[in-house]
Amino acid sequence: MKIVVGISDMKVSNNPDDTLITYALGSCIGVAIWDPVTKVAGMLHYMLPDSALSQEKAQARPFMFADTGIPLLFKETYKYGAVKSRLIIKVAGGGQIMDSPDIFNIGKRNHTVLRKIFWKNKIMVAKEDVGGSSNRTISIAVESGLTILKTPGRGEFAL
Amino acid sequence: MSRMEEILNLAKSVPPFPKVARRVMELLRDPRTDARSLAEVIQYDQVITANVLKICNAPYFGLARKVSSLREALVVLGHEELKDIIIASSSAKFYQGEVGAGYALEQGDMWKHSVASGILAKLLVHKIKDVDAATAFTAGLLHDIGKRFLSNFVADDFERIMDKVLKEKRSFVEAEKEFLGVNHAELGGVILKRWGFPTDIQQAVLHHHDPGAMGREPLTALVALSNTLVISMGIGVGADGLATKMRGEGLARFGITRAHLDLCMADLFVELEEVGELLQL
Repeated sequence: MKIVVGISDMKVSNNPDDTLITYALGSCIGVAIWDPVTKVAGMLHYMLPDSALSQEKAQARPFMFADTGIPLLFKETYKYGAVKSRLIIKVAGGGQIMDSPDIFNIGKRNHTVLRKIFWKNKIMVAKEDVGGSSNRTISIAVESGLTILKTPGRGEFAL
Repeated sequence: MSRMEEILNLAKSVPPFPKVARRVMELLRDPRTDARSLAEVIQYDQVITANVLKICNAPYFGLARKVSSLREALVVLGHEELKDIIIASSSAKFYQGEVGAGYALEQGDMWKHSVASGILAKLLVHKIKDVDAATAFTAGLLHDIGKRFLSNFVADDFERIMDKVLKEKRSFVEAEKEFLGVNHAELGGVILKRWGFPTDIQQAVLHHHDPGAMGREPLTALVALSNTLVISMGIGVGADGLATKMRGEGLARFGITRAHLDLCMADLFVELEEVGELLQL
């Protein structure tokens, strides 16, 4: 079954028939993680870098922010038997409008925070496709871990 | 006939914006207008009447009890809400079906993008003063109307346009302009003029992709900003993606900072969860 991960949303599955997919990543970032032994996949689609913006919103919608969403994504897969050291991590999104070194660099900030969190927790990213001015759709098959990225002009390919 | 002439000719035959909407807007300019005179005008348009009731009963408007007649709805609703509902239900039909196929938009995407931009424009009125909420909503809702009519032409030149964007780092509207002679913002301005919308709304739509839009009139800046943020959030975005150019310097005069923009996006996300009925028009 196709399980859609919305904006500010997270899904985890260990059903081999499932595919997790998130559409239209603009400056938002999609994180797909997969444990090849227990065959658990998780996906997060966060919108903003830092929950300090609004504690109230972060409490109601923790998947809106990188700093609250990313830890929850990992923890949720652990419940299904995933092990941190085995997880294969792929990242997509973080685009931004053209010529926007200034106030509109939301995508870049989203990516910077992710790198900081991963560095602090000694987590390596296997593959990533970030930046630029395209929007992206990313999916991961629970059984195989096959991650497919789709983006206008570059078509569809395995990440 | 050149492509541009062909496109501008087509704009002349664009179906009119519902008369009822224009008449209601005129009536609402007079603060003494009462529910009865509004109902007399609105009742002749069944689609708008049905939509007024439907939206009026949506949780977004938070009415304490269900209303079942137009008169009742008009008594309960404030003029501001009514303006939004009339504009939304009059605009919806232009966004139905495969209207954005040339931009690789799925059905419903263009409407979703438009509603989101309208709502964000309204939220931004608190920051960008001197713009009234209904005008902001209308301009946000209609900013991409040109896409609706340019879509088929974009489809014909899609490969060439994408090539320009990807290889030469041109914005999508620059590529539209180069191959079609006119971009969707300009076409939108022409259409709104034909429809008799106020000049400030025409201008805001016309300039919403100008990289310097933030330094223009408040309504133009507001619409351009709403669109930019909705695009960043990936709401109803097609092949043009984030391939638009926009400078942010002009925002300083409104006291808008990066944190405000983040908060706006978060607020919009929450609002969108509550406007289900509006999205289903």
